[in-house]
Amino acid sequence: MTRLVRWTIVAVAAAALVTFPYWSAAWESSRFATTLLRDALILAIFALSLDLLVGRAGMPSLGHAAFFGAGAYAAGIAGQRLATDQLPVTLGAAALVAAVLAFVIGILVVRSEGIFFLMLTLALAQIVFAIAFQWTAVTGGSNGLAGVGRPMLGALDLSSPDLTYVLVAVTFVLAALVVWGLARSPFGRALIGVRENERRMRALGYDTARLRLSAFVLAGTMAGIAGALSAYSTRFVSAQDAGLGNSVRAFVTVLVGGAGTLGGPIAGSAVVSLIERVVPSLLPPELRLSEAILGVVFIAFVLFARQGMVGLGRYAWLRVRSR
Amino acid sequence: MIEVRELRRAFGGVVALDGVSLKIPEGERRAVIGPNGAGKTTLINVLAGELPPTGGAVRLGGRDVTGLRSWQRARLGLAHVYQRTELFPPLTARENVALAVAARSGPYRVFRGPPRSEHADADAMLARVGLAGREGVLARALSHGERRQLELAVALAQSPRVLLLDEPTAGMSPVETARITELIVGLDRALTILIVEHDMDVVFRLADRVTVLHEGLVIADGTPAEVRGDALVHDVYLGKAVTVA
Amino acid sequence: MSFELVFQQALNGLSFGALLFILASGLSLVFGMMDVVNLAHGAFYMLGAYVALSVVQLTGSFWIAIVLAPLALGLLGLAIEPVLLRRLRGRHLDQVLLTIGLSLVIVDVIGQLWGREVRSLAAPPGLDGSVTLIGGVYPVYRLFVIAFGAALAIVMSVVYRRTKIGRLIRAGVEDAQMLGALGVDTNRLFASTFATGAALAGLAGVIAAPVFGVQPGMDTDPGLLYSLVVVVVGGLGTLSGAVAGSLLIGPADTFGKVLFQDVALAVIFAIVALVLLLKPTGLLGRIRIAR
Repeated sequence: MTRLVRWTIVAVAAAALVTFPYWSAAWESSRFATTLLRDALILAIFALSLDLLVGRAGMPSLGHAAFFGAGAYAAGIAGQRLATDQLPVTLGAAALVAAVLAFVIGILVVRSEGIFFLMLTLALAQIVFAIAFQWTAVTGGSNGLAGVGRPMLGALDLSSPDLTYVLVAVTFVLAALVVWGLARSPFGRALIGVRENERRMRALGYDTARLRLSAFVLAGTMAGIAGALSAYSTRFVSAQDAGLGNSVRAFVTVLVGGAGTLGGPIAGSAVVSLIERVVPSLLPPELRLSEAILGVVFIAFVLFARQGMVGLGRYAWLRVRSR
Repeated sequence: MIEVRELRRAFGGVVALDGVSLKIPEGERRAVIGPNGAGKTTLINVLAGELPPTGGAVRLGGRDVTGLRSWQRARLGLAHVYQRTELFPPLTARENVALAVAARSGPYRVFRGPPRSEHADADAMLARVGLAGREGVLARALSHGERRQLELAVALAQSPRVLLLDEPTAGMSPVETARITELIVGLDRALTILIVEHDMDVVFRLADRVTVLHEGLVIADGTPAEVRGDALVHDVYLGKAVTVA
Repeated sequence: MSFELVFQQALNGLSFGALLFILASGLSLVFGMMDVVNLAHGAFYMLGAYVALSVVQLTGSFWIAIVLAPLALGLLGLAIEPVLLRRLRGRHLDQVLLTIGLSLVIVDVIGQLWGREVRSLAAPPGLDGSVTLIGGVYPVYRLFVIAFGAALAIVMSVVYRRTKIGRLIRAGVEDAQMLGALGVDTNRLFASTFATGAALAGLAGVIAAPVFGVQPGMDTDPGLLYSLVVVVVGGLGTLSGAVAGSLLIGPADTFGKVLFQDVALAVIFAIVALVLLLKPTGLLGRIRIAR
């Protein structure tokens, strides 16, 4: 398959994705599908950002939602305090706040590895969550931040469901391109080196602490953007957006899909969204066990399919080819 | 080029280096030998910046690097080949070497040079160490001897001025040992090499001078012939109880 | 601030610290022995409280609950380790991930079985009154918590230092693989350690219930968050670390909430950050980097 053919397919698929609400309008559950897809894409951006850490750099972070939440709150609060709805301002604020927070937390955690790193990110993110939950004056506390402004681009109002979806889908395509480019760049290759043998990387002359911090800040910023998109979608920010549950959700998405790949987090977000949204409607209404089901699926993957769905796919492909 | 003054390194109560002083001029090939536990690997690790000394100073190229970390010393032209193979297992031989090539320009370039030039450089380096044809093999799939060759290729790809080799022929067959030895012999004469070795044939083939360590101290320092004839060195190697003042 | 207020808050801080110790000791024990950070620890804590609720409902006795709930959690731990964790022996990070999945399942099942409203558990008769102290009137139950925590610390310390089991644990914390080579049945050891950790979490859940209530979310706040903060600050894997951490975080959190109210957790953040910058392995911890 030549590069031209490949890129054409990608362009067509991206275009179809972005214009989904328009060509699917005739279907009955089109509205539901658009919302579901929108939320799945937001999760995908979130998961792609986490995969930079977990899959590429070998930094298992369980506190990534802190940046998602920070971005969401920043977008909402900036809009309210600065009395503007302009997307560049609120989205910019989200990215900036998330980046700064990632820098602060990053400095503290970047010299740890493995399980210790996991615990530190978890604990620090939980503190961020608790602050969001209790600081009622700024964040609305346990009631959340209501009245997040509409995303406006100049005079264009992006708050209709269709246009919000387009905004999310376009951001997703850009995010996927960024991650794809990063993976093939010297930075991406250096991150893999750090993951595989940090000591050797240092012996080669790489400042590994700085590399990890850069990855952490980059991932945090991207998560913050995902958070802002979530705020625009629901016009509401809940403290849970920064909570452990959300961090776990992203982690599960990455692992189930397949860490360290482009398609993994994307596939994972499809699966997790289905479990969260579609499965409950298949169960009797008294049983609200979507989290438990997610947990069981996650345990199954950790035990039997550590490389996620992408890994399973590769394995199946190899088996088919060797016949 | 390499200068070490009164270098000390203790691990709790265990003194690994007890005041080692060395001077290695540019272009010299110095072998460091000694019985097990003499402190040879500790010396290399302190020189490489992986272990801070508890006393003394390290100078590279006339510059005091005692406070510098391993990656900073690498940027000054220091390459280190470990005693135990330290590679990137899931990457191919070419990718392993390419990381070293890429290190020279740093990973933060926005407009990256195409990986092809890095790969071309990597392939050339691999050919030089005798791994032509194995470029696409995963590092973990290489034989032990091939991995040591790869280690050398990675180190050389850093374009170093100083090369630290910690037992490069360990665990190798005579054929592989001879090949690696000739490779090192054939290296650029401007390169300063410090090699820790147990295999005396390799030492005598390679070294301009030999330093003998015992219990963290230098007990002999001279040409290979001088050291071979040194009575103290004999005693140490034959296991006689020796107290060094 | 009046003397009474300070005294009361100091006691509150101590009782919270005592509770944190009971909670965090289990987490620290499991990590020290097995190199696994059991992220389902908060879920175990929560389950302990809910089980106690049912036991009290059935039997009317808090004291039976204080025995049965940890027992139930211990049995659960005894079942989980061989069935799930053992398959991942040696893959520490994956074991931690597995406990995340466990936590998801347990918390959701609790909500399904017991409902998602806020519940409460009364202190047992005899301990539900107040007593007049130098600083004013103070609830007896909180004093009980302090006493219980201290007693537990002493018992654990004695077991740790003077008994055969204690020696086994100390050796295991140093090097579990070596123990296996010496002929100790590591399977049984790890299973019992995990069970003990779960039981301690459950115990903490019962004891905490009259003070902190029984409600959704308790698995993370105070459960997992505080036990993690305590062990990160105090040092993982050591008993003294758990004590040091709880004695620091308990009062700090209490006074923080009184002085700073809304942003009290920023105080905790500051403490964690300070410890991480100055002594990354925790105040009394040992270096542990496990993948």
